[in-house]
Amino acid sequence: MAYIRKRNKKIFGIFLVPAMLVLFLTTIYPMLYAGYLSFRSYDLAKPFVPRVFVGWSNYREILTSSEFLHTLIVTAKLMAMTLSVQLVLGVGIALLVTQKLPGMGVARTLLLVPMMISPVIVGLVWLFLYFPELGYLNYFLSFLGVGAIPWITSTNWALWAIAIADIWQWTPFVMMGTAAAVQSLSPEPYEAAMIDGNSRWDVFTRVTLPQLKPVLVSLMFLRAIDAFKIYDIIFVLTKGGPGDTTEVLSLFIYRQSFTFWRMGVGAAASFVSLVIIVVLITLFFKSLNRDDYA
Amino acid sequence: MKHLKMALMGSAVAIGTTGSATAGDFDGVELKMLAIGDTSVTRLAPIVGEFEELTGAKVQIDMFPYPGLIDKIVIEASADNPSYQLMWVDSPWVGVLGESGALEDLTELVKRDAEEIHLDDIIPIQLQENTWQGRLLAFPASGMIWHQNYRKDLYEHPEEQAAFEAKYGYPLTPAQTWDQYIDIAEFFTRDAGEALAGEVLDKPFYGNAQAYSRVAGAITHDFFPIMRSFGGQYWDAETGLCAMDGEAALAAANVMKELVAFNPPDYLGLMWDIRTGYMERGETAQSSYWSVRTVRLTNPDEAVLPTIGEAGYAASPTGDGNPQPTMTGALSFAINSKATDTEKEAAWEFIKWGTSQDMMRRFAEEGSGVSQFHKSILSDPELQEKYPYYQVLLDTQENAQRRIFHPFYADVEEVFGVELNKFMAGETESAQEALTNACTKINTRLKVFPEDLRLRWINDAQAEIFD
Amino acid sequence: MSAITLSNVTKRYGAVQVVHGVDLEIDKGEFVVLLGPSGCGKTTTLRMVAGLEDVTGGKLSIGGQVVNDVAPKDRGVAMVFQNYALYPHMTVRQNMEFALRPLKLGADEVERRINETAEILGLSELLARKPAQLSGGQRQRVAMGRAMVRTPDVFLFDEPLSNLDAKLRTQVRWEIGKLHQRLGTTVLYVTHDQVEAMTLADKIVIMRDGYVEQVGTPEEVYSNPKTSFVATFIGSPSMNMIDARITDGRIEADGFSHPVPTRFAGRVTEGQDVTIGIRPISIELAHADDERALPATVEVTEFLGNEALLDLRVGTHELVAEIPAEQRVPSGTKTHIRLNFDLAHFFDAGTGRSLNAE
Repeated sequence: MAYIRKRNKKIFGIFLVPAMLVLFLTTIYPMLYAGYLSFRSYDLAKPFVPRVFVGWSNYREILTSSEFLHTLIVTAKLMAMTLSVQLVLGVGIALLVTQKLPGMGVARTLLLVPMMISPVIVGLVWLFLYFPELGYLNYFLSFLGVGAIPWITSTNWALWAIAIADIWQWTPFVMMGTAAAVQSLSPEPYEAAMIDGNSRWDVFTRVTLPQLKPVLVSLMFLRAIDAFKIYDIIFVLTKGGPGDTTEVLSLFIYRQSFTFWRMGVGAAASFVSLVIIVVLITLFFKSLNRDDYA
Repeated sequence: MKHLKMALMGSAVAIGTTGSATAGDFDGVELKMLAIGDTSVTRLAPIVGEFEELTGAKVQIDMFPYPGLIDKIVIEASADNPSYQLMWVDSPWVGVLGESGALEDLTELVKRDAEEIHLDDIIPIQLQENTWQGRLLAFPASGMIWHQNYRKDLYEHPEEQAAFEAKYGYPLTPAQTWDQYIDIAEFFTRDAGEALAGEVLDKPFYGNAQAYSRVAGAITHDFFPIMRSFGGQYWDAETGLCAMDGEAALAAANVMKELVAFNPPDYLGLMWDIRTGYMERGETAQSSYWSVRTVRLTNPDEAVLPTIGEAGYAASPTGDGNPQPTMTGALSFAINSKATDTEKEAAWEFIKWGTSQDMMRRFAEEGSGVSQFHKSILSDPELQEKYPYYQVLLDTQENAQRRIFHPFYADVEEVFGVELNKFMAGETESAQEALTNACTKINTRLKVFPEDLRLRWINDAQAEIFD
Repeated sequence: MSAITLSNVTKRYGAVQVVHGVDLEIDKGEFVVLLGPSGCGKTTTLRMVAGLEDVTGGKLSIGGQVVNDVAPKDRGVAMVFQNYALYPHMTVRQNMEFALRPLKLGADEVERRINETAEILGLSELLARKPAQLSGGQRQRVAMGRAMVRTPDVFLFDEPLSNLDAKLRTQVRWEIGKLHQRLGTTVLYVTHDQVEAMTLADKIVIMRDGYVEQVGTPEEVYSNPKTSFVATFIGSPSMNMIDARITDGRIEADGFSHPVPTRFAGRVTEGQDVTIGIRPISIELAHADDERALPATVEVTEFLGNEALLDLRVGTHELVAEIPAEQRVPSGTKTHIRLNFDLAHFFDAGTGRSLNAE
């Protein structure tokens, strides 16, 4: 027996090799290389710029630059905007589609469509909607007597324009997770509350929400990690503008790496971003492990 | 019949000159070109079959939008085994590509084939535009000038003329100074419902359309010509550091800021093509831009304006009204230095064919958007009749200076793009603050290099093709 | 005055009718059990009383007031659910508090009621716990406590014991009985377990396929089942049912024949198909020479302590007999039995109605 088990372990090990190899080649090696680059001066476009070890200076440059701080603030702002609306809308729609009303099955399927679309396409769709002169959004608004809003070219609106596109795409995610949780709630406590005469608001705030809390916290963490990396939609809609109102962290990294070709600085910024994400993920798992019913 | 004529013309070129290829010389050679999807290429791409008939070399042109194209070229240039032998080059890229050794030196080839390519007929500044340290690294396929376009029909409308003179105390003519330009922009900015040239507008009419977008540094492409028209320089000749926060730069930034009020409400998103679109649709009184798109204003198939009014053309306004340097810019073809010798030979043949005087004349007759750079074409009376702006192009080249060509151009374009855009959006208090920010960022990157290297990078040595 | 009255109450889901014209009077303080197999309509009937299901037809009154269109909360009822229906994220105390919220009582009164109820149910030590930290029996008591604190006019129980193990079930059943005695509140209680019904009920309502088969005290439904269904449903082990026909004044069944007992004279007709119902206790072992003895084979003998159950094969019939344990014979024994026709029930084979005297 012991022999077989030992042999099985070896066989399992062999089966793991391809997966480990892929993991190494696609994740670990690039990460190590990025780590190496982050301590170097490396200008991909200008071979005449010396490629040397520069110590922590890339990190120092990023962490002391107001530009980087600004992108963190914009990223946080955007996260706050999208997450809060996605939470409210997602829960609201989830409660609606879990009602036994006609057409809700179809509605649920349709609501998932935005999630299936690649963010670049989402960006393009909204670009058409936002287009100042010919966009559909302003066209429809004109019927309401609202003048043309320069959605993506105004410093007041641009971040909201991006938030709206992101909300459109990702509310279904929150909705789906919440709907699944709502459906797993046992119906009897609701009947008990109905008989006892508890108000709908009481039932929602004191029965439904507390039971959904663990799921909602998880969904918000997942969204936060995603929102932290938001890139495609912004790249298509505003490229960080107007001014620097929509300049998020990933755009900063992109610009350092592929506009200025300062790969070292870009790599260092990626690592700082990685650290922030790791913190978020750690908090996320901590929240998962907490037993809310204990 | 037409085909036969072309074939005859092609062979006439081939036979009549020295050092030139004859049919079949490059059988089996395949060339790929990394290019822009803009007028300097779009007309040529469909007819590369003609080149193959002439020489046997097969050419494939891959076209991409301008934003992001330099990134592709840089990656291509840093690859050991190039997929592209031919590259489309905007003249400001010559520095970074030249210093990297990415481009083949064309100096000797141009000297060898001077007669065949009618070197004397090419406006010299358009060639100089493509040099790096005196060596010619690219060959012009389109030679641009930044100039102003205006609504000739409105400027000549008696009521508008009278109203303008009454308000500003001088006659309404194409602006010679930026103050006048601003006056005119203000004068013509009208809401829907107001009258323009005696007719009631059903939508707003704008006094001006310029590029204010930060995407791909679009705003800098209008800002630098204006800075230049105030006599501004990019670099400090003593230190080789950023000088784009001086008097002229401030004046230019403030001119653009003042013009904001007379631009469309989405001004912060105005890219080159969106900005020219306002002019082409006849929705703005004036718009200054690079001459590659000017030809559209003469063509009712490409623009609304010729149907509803008439475009006028003039040199860019300047700070004091005296002819200051205008700015040129060449859209050019270059050869990847890592191509094989045969490919390089074939590529040079292709460049000569695609930029030849005959080809340019053919494009001119067809109304292609190539901005002409042969004196004989720009001064041709028949063509001038058809394209009134030719004379403006010809005249302004006299005072022209070349565009920025520094190896850190991409950094300048992006950094100034963002900073200027922030200033226009009202995120930065003053032009001084915006420009100082931008210069500081550029200088941080430049200061790590020794001064003599920095000075070499800004040195515009005379092109050695004229030696 | 009746606490609850159902007059011709029906329930229909689309084309499917699940409750057919139920008539029922429940007196104040009465403990009434709705009994029947699953799908008989008992839970639906209870939920209609609770207001969780609409009444399709008929009239439902509680406390003399027609409540067909009255919201659940205004019916003065409290319900204990099969799955306890506790709020999983709340402590025992919070569960009870939440049930009291709509009553808008003062904090002192809330405190008093919770403590009193907890005292009665032995939950005082558990008030700070959450449901996940309680045993099944404790949860059941919390569910009852949550209903009790509201001091309703009517308690509704929906199979409250079905999620408990056998031992706990007996105990909680006993507690419910005690509680009813103490509080005297009207109870409507749904179960499929006849033992619960027999032990708890003042009145049992036996339902089948949406119809009420019989209403009566436990004794009535046991002694005088009105239908063969009730006869087999009540009593354990079940009543033996033997198909027979009345021929020449005799009961003719496969393998045996017996004169029609005098008390059924005039109640049966010649040629009528009947079902003879004989409780296991009415079958006894007999000597072979007894003229009414029937030969039987003991297939299985089950020893229960005081009694023993014999699974018998009698001709083509399979019968169960319950006999004093000391009389039992081993499995496989060939023996004789006698059916006590004096205690037998007769049912019309077609309608299932009892032919016994009222």
